[in-house]
Amino acid sequence: MIKLLRYLSTKQSFLVFVFLELIALILTIKAHDYAQMKTQSLQVAFAGNVNNVINNVEEHFYLKSYNDSLLKQNALLLEQLQRKITDNTSIPGSLPEQYSYFPAFVISNQYNLQHNTLLINKGETNGINPDTGVLSTNGIIGVVQKTSSHFAKVISLLNKNLKINVALKHTNYSGFLQWPGKVPNEFEVVDLPVNAPIKKGDTIVTGGMSGIFPKGIPIGKITGYRLVPGRKSYEIFIKSFTDMTAVGPVYVINNRLKTEMDSLTKP
Amino acid sequence: MNFRNKYILILSIFLILQAVWFNHISLFGRFTPIVFIYPLLILPLSKSETFNLLIAFAGGIFLDIISNTGGIFAATGVFVTYLRKIYFLLSKNPVQKMEKININKIEYLQRIIYFIVFVFLSNIMIYFLDAFNAGLVISKWQTILLNTAISIFFIIFIDLIFFNPSKQ
Repeated sequence: MIKLLRYLSTKQSFLVFVFLELIALILTIKAHDYAQMKTQSLQVAFAGNVNNVINNVEEHFYLKSYNDSLLKQNALLLEQLQRKITDNTSIPGSLPEQYSYFPAFVISNQYNLQHNTLLINKGETNGINPDTGVLSTNGIIGVVQKTSSHFAKVISLLNKNLKINVALKHTNYSGFLQWPGKVPNEFEVVDLPVNAPIKKGDTIVTGGMSGIFPKGIPIGKITGYRLVPGRKSYEIFIKSFTDMTAVGPVYVINNRLKTEMDSLTKP
Repeated sequence: MNFRNKYILILSIFLILQAVWFNHISLFGRFTPIVFIYPLLILPLSKSETFNLLIAFAGGIFLDIISNTGGIFAATGVFVTYLRKIYFLLSKNPVQKMEKININKIEYLQRIIYFIVFVFLSNIMIYFLDAFNAGLVISKWQTILLNTAISIFFIIFIDLIFFNPSKQ
């Protein structure tokens, strides 16, 4: 051991090693700090440009599946339009003019880490700002964290730091969706009150309280639940409708009234 | 081509492969092979260690920028590159003979064990730096082991293409 320490102390490479490790660790810690929102727009722009080139090649192989998902979405929109015409009602929970939708495309998608992110090919020039929601045809994908001119970095649902306000479908009982960090399509809902009438197979939808997503967007089905010992709430296990390992076309949702909502909730 | 240009070229090829292809592989929806460390593992121990560390760092940073991972790959690349020397130091080679170790001349079984050890360590490092939680790393031991096994499969396959054990 003494021999090893003596060897290390005489080597310049040991100091280089420590120096480079420190830089890498600082960068890693900074990447985990979600409070700093706009400092890495240059990095987002560079990663966006490189991934855009890669994606241009890749997307030719996935055209059929993207077409299928767009057809499904068209069908859903037609159904909603029809319902609106016949019932004279809007999509549950959303004011018709409150949310605007921007189409975008995922050009880089992580799903094998604990703090996963995505990159989309739309940014500030398209009116996309931090704290806006991102949807796919099957459900929610994440929340925009930071933007550059033409790209945006999105905190994926597969990120242990992200919590989304959700509710039991057709009720006002709400809790928080989080990813336990294991399987990409298995999530947990915590803090749902014990008096909520839950059963296996029920659908969990967005709660709409954060103002990031409108209320009522389907997220997944309940596969199991348990009462949290010592707390008057349920822990619910759900399987998401969205396959987070294969996302392509998405929509960024901009809540036009969010600033107004936030101004009332800030202390 | 001198050794520096040669290894920079090999590392560049592997970084592009990792960014363009391997990062997009999702076996069973959970496992992504980590092969960018292969060129770092075959870097000559006898040459400038500072150079080895610097290209490991530069390569890792490139992957981190592409993958939005802060400095995880850079830290892993530098860690693996530096630890190689300690691995051989603690195995059986005396300190004064360190400069004479040639990775291409060790027995092939030893070479595979060397790959397994370092691919396993790099997977642990990546998962630990991502989670910053030792408990979580322990709870994900199955994922780490399987990801190591899948990475090893690809690395040995690539190694057999680049390096012919029968030449030993």
